[in-house]
Amino acid sequence: MFEGGYGIDWHKGVAREYEKSHPGIHINLWGDPRVDEKLKPRILRHNPPEIANCTLPAWKLIVANKLYPLDEALDSPAVGQQITWRASLTPGVLAEYTYLGHSYAMPTNLNAWVCWYDQKQFREHGWKAPTTWSEFTALCEQVKKAGVAPLAFQGKYPDYAWPILLSTYQRLVPFDRWYKIQDLEPGAFLDPEFIHAAKLLQELGVNYFQKGCAGMSHTESQMEWANGRAAMVFCGLWLKNEMKNAIPPGFEMSCFAVPAVEGGKGDPNAVYGGGQENCYVFRESKHPKEALEFLKYMESLQSARTYCQKLDTLAPVQHCIDGVAVSPALQSAVVVMNRSTRIYSDHLTGLFLQFKTVTQDNLSDLIAGKITPEEFAKHLDAAIARVRKDPEIYKPAPMGVPPLK
Amino acid sequence: MTTGLSKRNSRAQAWFVFSFLAPPVALYALFVLLPTINAFRYSLTRWDGLSDPVYVGMRNFRSFLAPGSDFIPAIQHNLFLMLVPGVFILSLALMFANMIHQRIKGAKVFRIAFFFPNIISSVAVALLWMLIYSPTKVGLLNHFAAIWFHRTQPVPYTESSRLLTSLVPMTVWSATGFYMVLFLAAMENIPETYYEAARLDGAGPTTLFFRITMPMMWEVFTTGVIFLIIGGLKYFDAIWVLENGRPKTATHTMSTLMYSRVFEQYNIGYGTAIAVLLFLLVLIVTVVSRRLLQREALEY
Repeated sequence: MFEGGYGIDWHKGVAREYEKSHPGIHINLWGDPRVDEKLKPRILRHNPPEIANCTLPAWKLIVANKLYPLDEALDSPAVGQQITWRASLTPGVLAEYTYLGHSYAMPTNLNAWVCWYDQKQFREHGWKAPTTWSEFTALCEQVKKAGVAPLAFQGKYPDYAWPILLSTYQRLVPFDRWYKIQDLEPGAFLDPEFIHAAKLLQELGVNYFQKGCAGMSHTESQMEWANGRAAMVFCGLWLKNEMKNAIPPGFEMSCFAVPAVEGGKGDPNAVYGGGQENCYVFRESKHPKEALEFLKYMESLQSARTYCQKLDTLAPVQHCIDGVAVSPALQSAVVVMNRSTRIYSDHLTGLFLQFKTVTQDNLSDLIAGKITPEEFAKHLDAAIARVRKDPEIYKPAPMGVPPLK
Repeated sequence: MTTGLSKRNSRAQAWFVFSFLAPPVALYALFVLLPTINAFRYSLTRWDGLSDPVYVGMRNFRSFLAPGSDFIPAIQHNLFLMLVPGVFILSLALMFANMIHQRIKGAKVFRIAFFFPNIISSVAVALLWMLIYSPTKVGLLNHFAAIWFHRTQPVPYTESSRLLTSLVPMTVWSATGFYMVLFLAAMENIPETYYEAARLDGAGPTTLFFRITMPMMWEVFTTGVIFLIIGGLKYFDAIWVLENGRPKTATHTMSTLMYSRVFEQYNIGYGTAIAVLLFLLVLIVTVVSRRLLQREALEY
């Protein structure tokens, strides 16, 4: 297991419970922050563990036939429920790693891309969380006038702007148009609305991102936000866990969804996010079937409830948060999620690792105002054209808009 | 009888030598030679490290020159980091070594002070300068700029487009001490009688430096230049730390590009091709610079 911000105590607890209810089964569960480095040689020696939660490039593993499909277990009854395991999960969380009709990744965490702020600071200044883009930019102006930077930004990792851009683009276009980029349709990045979204992002970068943020790491910029020197920050739900030791007393962490853009034709309630902290079952492991059973137990409603409770985050199991006492910060994210009509995410940067480098370079230039939104779109279009032309890069068949169930 | 004895002795001696040499040679072969040979092999493949490698001939090397390749900017950054800090380092190291050699007041203190950054690990040096350059409240440089020049907006010195320039003072600060000590050791070995004789002939400090000191320490100076060239070609740690492990095309050097291609993009063939080219470049540049800088050795 990848031993990151969420640790592995919850995983260990689930394993011990499973051992109790399944005599004769012993689970050797270990974690490491650099678990990928330990897994690679084992995969090459055809001796992988049964399950891994890691950041290895999942698509490479899927295409190389290293992973075991989860479908058999997904279509069997869920643990402690009268429905199938698949039906018990949050709709859409399996879509990202589906290959030739089979699912290969089981997320343990549900993420959403939102904008975080301190309710106390907002109350003191009379600021209100925006719902539309013009309210958002008007708020940024108000914040600026109060001598506070409107937005902290994790400038050393410009890819933090990728979900902002794709969410803004989603607010502008219907999903059948949004997914054209994901399906590698020629010229999709040159869509005038994509350029419009890039322009909106550039305006945020040039006018409202904290000055000097280009030299700040994620923790540095998030500290600026936690210390009140920046009013808002775009980030995933992991922010609270990541900054738990830095958030000062009295800070009332809350979030709002990416604002809807006036005149936009996109769904204003859809949320950019999806499953993360993915678990994979290895085909060449000794007990893949038993591993699937354990994974099903780990992602059962009961285990997901303890996950949300202990780690103050969301799990990709429906109703896992019902009746669970969570922090006000997470509660604000639950409100965003409950309002959402669809959870969607990008898979280009996960699939095409060289394309990811291009997005990083160009996002950094776009935010700094060094290139125009049109140039930005052209660069991405050229980069994805190179991917399209390369016969050695695996490309999934165009999927269009994934079904909700 | 005597012949038999001496044969047995020499065989025993050979075994004795062999038993001492074999373990390090075996370890060297296992951990250095074999991986090096393998690197040459993998550089001719397309391999993601997860499935079997596929032979692609020289394609990885050809792609260095392909349009949009990030290898060319990377090698340009290496050249910048080799030349710009290199000029400052050599000049300052020579100047400080010469001053200390002249037994100026407090020479011992200066020697320790200048050498001090060299005992700090390169990662710690980068972390230290990260704090100096930070655009947040902890940033020393921005803090002083605000006090002295009333600058209201912080400058992100470590942002990708500024990073290479920001690396120059850091590299000069951390490396000058080493070269100063190297040059000083060479200067201290020059017999004082040469200087005395030259002074009697009316030579001034500049003449002494260029006519005696430099020619007499030329071999060491050449070694210093080669160290700098190799250091510039292999530049890695500071960029990796100051870019938070995510260098961009604007900051990649050959080594960081190699690392990110291998460990982040799983393009092991391309990454090892960079490693092979880096190896050859270091070898060629070292040999060529030695030849170019070679002068007749002076004996004393």
